[in-house]
Amino acid sequence: MKNTFKVKSEGRDILKTLNVVTGRMLDVNMASAHIARHPDTFNVNRIAKQLHPKSLKLRIKKVDVFSEDVKSYILTSAEGRMLPYFKAGQYLTVELKVGSSVLTRPYSLSSSPRDSLSGEYRITVKRVPAGFASGHILDNWQAGDIITAYPPEGTFGYEPLRDAKTVVGVAGGSGITPFISMAEDIASGDSDFNLILLYGARNTREILFKKELDALADKCDKFKVCYVLSDSTSKKYETGFIGADLIKKYAPADEAYSIFVCGPGPMYKFLQSELPKLGLENKYIRFEMSSGRRDLAIEPGYPKDMLEKTFSLTVIDRGSKYETECNSSDSILCALEKAGIAVQARCRSGECGFCRSKIVSGEYFIPQGVDKRRIADARFGYVHPCCAYPLSDIVIKIN
Amino acid sequence: MAEKYDAIVVGAGNGGLVAATKLALEGKKTLLLEKHNIPGGFATSFVRGRFEFEASLHELCGIGPFTPEGGPLKKIFDDLGVSDRIEWVTLDEAFRTMTIDDGSANFDYSLPLGRERFIAKVQEYAPGTEDVCNKLFDLCEVINNGIDFLSSIEDFTSDTLKSIFGEHLSFINIAGYSVNQVFDTLNVPKKVRDIFGGYWCYLGVNLDELNFIHYFTMLHSYVVDGAVIPRTRSHGISCALLDRFEELGGEAWFNSPVRRILVHNNRAYGVLLEDGREILSDYVVCNASPYNAYTKLIDTNEIPKFRIKDLNAKKLAVKGFAVFIGLNRSYEELGLNNHTYFIYNTADTRRQAELMKRRDTNSVQATVCLNTAIPDCSPEGTSVLYMTSIFAGDNSWNDVTAESYVKTKREFADKMITVFEKATGCKIREHIEEIEIAAPVTYAHYTDAPNGTIYGFDASGTDTIVHRIANQAFGKKIDHLYFAGGYTMQCIGFSPSYTTGNLAAEGVLAEMRKEAAAK
Repeated sequence: MKNTFKVKSEGRDILKTLNVVTGRMLDVNMASAHIARHPDTFNVNRIAKQLHPKSLKLRIKKVDVFSEDVKSYILTSAEGRMLPYFKAGQYLTVELKVGSSVLTRPYSLSSSPRDSLSGEYRITVKRVPAGFASGHILDNWQAGDIITAYPPEGTFGYEPLRDAKTVVGVAGGSGITPFISMAEDIASGDSDFNLILLYGARNTREILFKKELDALADKCDKFKVCYVLSDSTSKKYETGFIGADLIKKYAPADEAYSIFVCGPGPMYKFLQSELPKLGLENKYIRFEMSSGRRDLAIEPGYPKDMLEKTFSLTVIDRGSKYETECNSSDSILCALEKAGIAVQARCRSGECGFCRSKIVSGEYFIPQGVDKRRIADARFGYVHPCCAYPLSDIVIKIN
Repeated sequence: MAEKYDAIVVGAGNGGLVAATKLALEGKKTLLLEKHNIPGGFATSFVRGRFEFEASLHELCGIGPFTPEGGPLKKIFDDLGVSDRIEWVTLDEAFRTMTIDDGSANFDYSLPLGRERFIAKVQEYAPGTEDVCNKLFDLCEVINNGIDFLSSIEDFTSDTLKSIFGEHLSFINIAGYSVNQVFDTLNVPKKVRDIFGGYWCYLGVNLDELNFIHYFTMLHSYVVDGAVIPRTRSHGISCALLDRFEELGGEAWFNSPVRRILVHNNRAYGVLLEDGREILSDYVVCNASPYNAYTKLIDTNEIPKFRIKDLNAKKLAVKGFAVFIGLNRSYEELGLNNHTYFIYNTADTRRQAELMKRRDTNSVQATVCLNTAIPDCSPEGTSVLYMTSIFAGDNSWNDVTAESYVKTKREFADKMITVFEKATGCKIREHIEEIEIAAPVTYAHYTDAPNGTIYGFDASGTDTIVHRIANQAFGKKIDHLYFAGGYTMQCIGFSPSYTTGNLAAEGVLAEMRKEAAAK
């Protein structure tokens, strides 16, 4: 090369380059021969572990009985650890063994995030007719029992960078639970927004947490609650179903507001036809995902001739293979649980992605609105088994 | 007794996926272990509402759409047989770089990709600098030739030495210097420095300390060879690699964290899983960081002292912070015309690195609007924006508690949005339909990154890329254990991680051949 490039001068440049080896060796030789710092001791890593432990062992401290069909469970750490802090609106996933089945269920936390700092979570369980898990919990869980749970998750909750300053909460039945957490969070000053809660129940007896809600509304002017009864009339309460008119009546007239909905399927269906009347942008409407059982017979696009069929389900799991079967009406996750095959699963509504698995072969159906897969996942044959229903024999790789 | 594998790859990050696929391609019985339920490590994506967000990739170099033969990464993917499973989108723009706190000296430059176009555009901002621009790119060629030569050396002879100190002397002369030292020698005008220095936040080392060769090979690769992004986010690359690996007969186990890499008599021989299962193999490729490997995965008594000293003589690189935003307006409506925005507080990179130590002084961001490259990456009438910031110093984020964490990260995200709006004039705040915030804690949670770093070990001091390459042969290593990924020789980045995965597999294969020949 005719023009050699020099930075300082030939001699100094070469020395500098040679020093790349000697300089490094000098530094290495001077360094300690004992690990200077374990990575888990960084504050950042400590907090990550504190907020996201792999699992939690919780002791049922107390059971609050509303009725045989509705109970709240106060949970504390059975390991003497701090409970992970959470965002109001998030859910706790509990693990259950029912007969030979191994399953998990998500329950919105009905306690305030602040309570977790003093060591308590609360979930509230309502009996689902013909429900598998709720009945088991209500009939079996006792104070003193120890359960396994997975740390709070979920995206349903107030986000000031995204949501309007006022939220109209629409709750139905046990869908009240995340709103209690939000109201508590407002009352304690940890969240700053206005919550106007429309709480639908059949009759006054079915209203949960009325005392607690009224007390919160009394002490905090950012929280209001309005009860809406569908099956009985009363001068004290609104009556009918919660729809566009009722929301309009309670929502601020001259400023933007968000709508958060948590409740049973029929309520969602009704609101989906009602909410467009309000002319709100998509960003102002949030539904908590519904993890309940789906009736495929009324799912748009479901091939009805597939109802009440049974298919074989072959499960590949870390070099092992299991054979079981799957009813066409059961999600693949449900079939795995029935077979006693433990699967990572949290939200059961297609959102969290924990159960993501590869369909090695077979056809399946995913209902509208719950296909929250990544584009590449859909392309490479991955599904969320909680929202996938077999249409043929299936081979699935779960881990 | 469980069966034995030829090789076990610990971690399905970029390095692990490539290493595993290459080993499987060569017919080796390979087990890939990943603690998460998805492959990719940092190379992933997530869905919120009607948006799918890229988790980390801004643009990928090494595919080389502007070069006739394609870049070195393209060759790796071609050889592995994955190229036809990934759809690349070629980027047009290099970056828009700006400062906000330098008063009247604030700048705002937008640069295209492609050497000629890049230089032509620099002339609009700094007329009459064509020569120095060309000199800088020419130096890149000199460097690339030097690197190619050095990596082609098989037997070190007197002729090798003659070449090194002959035609590659420029390369040798430059190897020990930082970007700014070389800029000084060439009398590079300030504007040209500011423009050419635009990418520095992608390596996180200020230009006084960042090795010239490291930075300019990267810059050259982006600007001259061109950059791409995968149409289905980096998760699409991860899925493609895994798909090919499994097609080749490789076994991948997810939700399968490794507790120990088993080493005896200075030789790796398998792994112990968290669930207590022991699996044996002839070789182990570790895609976990050497930091985690030497502190958590390998019995301290089995680690050569040199490796611990070497580890202690390294420094963790910057921590990551990212805001992922789904907007309910199209990028055209919002005026988001650029793919990559670098928004610095100041043009003084050393001072910027100081400001990056604290949340109240830092607001550096590399922000990407994916729709400018892939208009339909979000539903019609919407757009996505990712803002990434970096934090320097071991102590930033030490003041955060589990309780204050969410508020703290939200406050910083809020500031990043304010800064973005102020710098670009684009009003995005009221259009936020989805938002997710990743802080150093998030990276620590998902990747086990020590102190939430996203760039591995800091490529500065005596641990620059040149130091790492020059010293790779020194010091005792654990036999049959190979490392791949962003903490290793080629430093951080997608392309380097894939490349080191390939190198690790080549290392394993070469050793296998050697041992077979010895038998």
